[in-house]
Amino acid sequence: MSTAALSAPDTHAGVSIDRLFLALALIATAILVALVLLDGQPASAALILGGFGLGIAFLKAEFSYTASWRRFLTRGEAGGLLGGLIVIAITALAVVPVAALKQNFGGAIAPLGPSLLIGAFTFGIGMQLANGCGSGTLYTAGGGSGRMLIALLFFVVGSVFGSLSLPSALSLGGIDPILASDYLGPWGGLAATLASIALAASVIVAVAKRRGASFMPSRNFVIGGIAIGLLCVAVFIAGGHPWSVTFGYTVWGAKIASVLGFDFSHAAFWQWPGPKHALAESVLSDTSSLTDFGMLFGAMAEAAAAKPFARTAWPPAKSLLAAGIGGLLMGWGARLGFGCNIGAFVGGVASGSLHGWVWFAAALPGCLIGIRLRPLFGLSRD
Amino acid sequence: MRKTYIIVVVLALAAIVGNHLISPSSGRAVSPEDFAGACAPCGAPCPSKK
Repeated sequence: MSTAALSAPDTHAGVSIDRLFLALALIATAILVALVLLDGQPASAALILGGFGLGIAFLKAEFSYTASWRRFLTRGEAGGLLGGLIVIAITALAVVPVAALKQNFGGAIAPLGPSLLIGAFTFGIGMQLANGCGSGTLYTAGGGSGRMLIALLFFVVGSVFGSLSLPSALSLGGIDPILASDYLGPWGGLAATLASIALAASVIVAVAKRRGASFMPSRNFVIGGIAIGLLCVAVFIAGGHPWSVTFGYTVWGAKIASVLGFDFSHAAFWQWPGPKHALAESVLSDTSSLTDFGMLFGAMAEAAAAKPFARTAWPPAKSLLAAGIGGLLMGWGARLGFGCNIGAFVGGVASGSLHGWVWFAAALPGCLIGIRLRPLFGLSRD
Repeated sequence: MRKTYIIVVVLALAAIVGNHLISPSSGRAVSPEDFAGACAPCGAPCPSKK
């Protein structure tokens, strides 16, 4: 039977369902959930399903950090950025106190230093060229964008290079993580975190007003932000740490490279206990990979339930080149910067860790460079 | 593009299942932050511990 025959759209009340890809997404998710449940790991199943929900929520709300940041930088529009802060505030309500009070839970922390600044800045350039960040690449690739499939491939490659560069970058110096709850206790830390989010929101609104731009988040961003925030809390409870995306990419890339004959036994990064364990164990033993797989298939299911899947033509070569370069920069930058918009910015700020705000401050100028470079690849600055 | 997607999804799923079946799996899923000495989501050590 041909692909076309299998995927004949099923139209109900104006909605075209792509049965082939909807079935593919659901079967793939069911297989992964079954595998982890057979191992007696209900928390892993919850992480896959949490990722699945995030894929649906991001695609449904068209929640894009990359476009939001670009609109803020080019036009002063603040709605998207504020939607992102809604996610962080909701996540912080659970992460800051629970990480401080409960054993087996922890926040997203990271050292402050040149590695963080260089990584976040590079990531900012890459996300504008690729037109998607860590989560954006996942849900748009899952949602049927072949261009973002290319970005994801190069993101994976870049993150392996980043894993090899990180030890040298860390040798440039730095200081230990600064966590609000370490200084102010769980509730004082939460108050300080929420105050920092409110302060950032007021600065963002002030900039928008000064530039005569809109600052109210759209209904989609408010509802999407609340849904994504609640799912971030669910992922935190299931995994014990805030949601992170890019470590999974690094593990996938290193596992593929190992199969191809690359030896990581002399790479310092892969001798640290966490990465060493992740490389040796099943990919379904890594929390980041579990939510990533769920998110890819959740976005695929959502896209296939709404319209024929991946029917658009491949974009021009220049656009694909931008996706590849952007993916490489994001992958490398994410390793040096301790994550992406999700793991470093959302997870960091929602944990009350100063590195989250530092990451944001370093990634924004990177975005400005990336926006200036976009026309070279036939992409608009808006 | 649809054919590319079908190939990618099937290969990726086969790779995930294959890796799971041939690799050890020692209990609950973990993050690199769960290991002693980790100072970042990727498991990097703290500057003060160097």
